Amino acid sequence: MANGVNIKVENLSLSFGKNEVLQNINFEAKAGEIHCVIGPNGGGKTTFAKSLLGQTYHNGKITFEWIEKRGIVGYVPQIINIDKTLPVNVLDFIALCIQKRPAFLGVDKKFKKQVDETLDKLEMKNKSKYLFSELSGGERQRVLFAQALIPNPQLLILDEPMNSVDKSGAEVFSRIIDGLKQNGATVIWIHHDLEQVQKIADKVSCINKTVVFSGEPKSVMNEKNLLKIFSSRQGE
Amino acid sequence: MDFLYDIIRHSAQNLVQAGALPDSFKFAFVINSLLCALIIGPMLGAIGTAVVAKRMAFFSNAIGHSALTGIAIGIMLGEPVNSPYISLFSFAILFAIFLNFSKNKSGMSHDTLIGVFLSASLAIGAALMMFATKDINIHILDGYMFGSILTASNSDINLLLAVAILAIGAGIYGFNRTIMSGLNPALAQVRGVPVLIYDYIFVILIALITVASVKIVGSILVEALLIIPAAAARNITRSLKSFVILSVVFATISAVTGIVVPMEFKIPIPSGGAIIICATIIFILTLLVKIVRRN
Repeated sequence: MANGVNIKVENLSLSFGKNEVLQNINFEAKAGEIHCVIGPNGGGKTTFAKSLLGQTYHNGKITFEWIEKRGIVGYVPQIINIDKTLPVNVLDFIALCIQKRPAFLGVDKKFKKQVDETLDKLEMKNKSKYLFSELSGGERQRVLFAQALIPNPQLLILDEPMNSVDKSGAEVFSRIIDGLKQNGATVIWIHHDLEQVQKIADKVSCINKTVVFSGEPKSVMNEKNLLKIFSSRQGE
Repeated sequence: MDFLYDIIRHSAQNLVQAGALPDSFKFAFVINSLLCALIIGPMLGAIGTAVVAKRMAFFSNAIGHSALTGIAIGIMLGEPVNSPYISLFSFAILFAIFLNFSKNKSGMSHDTLIGVFLSASLAIGAALMMFATKDINIHILDGYMFGSILTASNSDINLLLAVAILAIGAGIYGFNRTIMSGLNPALAQVRGVPVLIYDYIFVILIALITVASVKIVGSILVEALLIIPAAAARNITRSLKSFVILSVVFATISAVTGIVVPMEFKIPIPSGGAIIICATIIFILTLLVKIVRRN
């Protein structure tokens, strides 16, 4: 099995001023596992992802135990605000993300093959010269996903990438992520589509300021627990 | 480097004698200002693309205006009137760092904060000028505000060259990281970019290239040469490669044309003004191309 990471979160709490966003979160994800995070809007899912990425000041402990050496982390943000008039095409954007060589000199030779293959898998190769501003919401999500796959990540964190993705796109995403899982990578996937979560997740955690429930989808995604998500107010 | 500049100036004089160049090129100050233009153009054109991509046009405007205060402080402290570089660089860099620090820490909207800093810097500069110009001819300051080709010396070219090498080196090394930090800091951090450090390096770089270009382009107009060529290139390009190349070409053409045309046609306007008018003509042409393409 390839490199992956076991993640353990203990008593994670975080506040923005007087607003307590996360409260005593305890969470575990294993290498070779797809762990979906669900919950109502404003429940702290994105903040939780950013805490895992080391981008927040928080209380509590987050431990990463890599199976081999420290691996590559991929991240797919929810949205990206690129000035509509900026001449950044798909290849430029990926080059900006993945390499040190200035993106205006083109994609680095050592990444070229993987960039082509990844765009092909995501059905975006024929749009590689399109400006980012000319892409639909779903196509932008595919490009954001593509950059996270280069080089191959051992930990992939996705923040609701499926918001604007159509059904065929969702299937492509799931297929690629399943491939990563087979290679031993750890996938933390913030998701809003409960039906999809039941199909793809090995584990699911519901976060609404704190962990409401966590476990295997079959055992925890029952009517009683799901009602808890949708009957509660944001952050309650 | 003085030896090299002498060779260039002598070669130009020989070409003038041979009838290959206009008469005005026999003057050392003309060649000096053209050498400055050939350094300023590529430097501002290249870094301008990152300024535009990071939406920092207004920020660089504030830095340009802060140069006036730096000059006044330098003159008051007894630095040479034609090159008060210690105060000029020190003030512009401190101003850039303090402005960036306030922007990051206050959470205020950028344009409001920059507007305050820009106005304050101009006000302080204007007030200090009253003291600074007691013993000097105030018209010397016109050159600093709107640019002048008369005062560029060997040491000015050396300074510009050093800043250009630093800026272009840092720009090439940190281009992707700087742009990514602006587009999505979270994504940049995941890719191992120390976003805050790059943020500060970039504003210091803007301060350095702005101040180094003040003599030729002028403190009021230098920001325009950072922005307009990049904005013109953005109008007609569909990739980062052509964006950077065209921005460099447009800035260089503007800088050289802005110096040569007023001199050859004996138009009494400052070099900074002429350079920016050339850049604006290019911008309008590219805008027309964009409009035609869209329709």
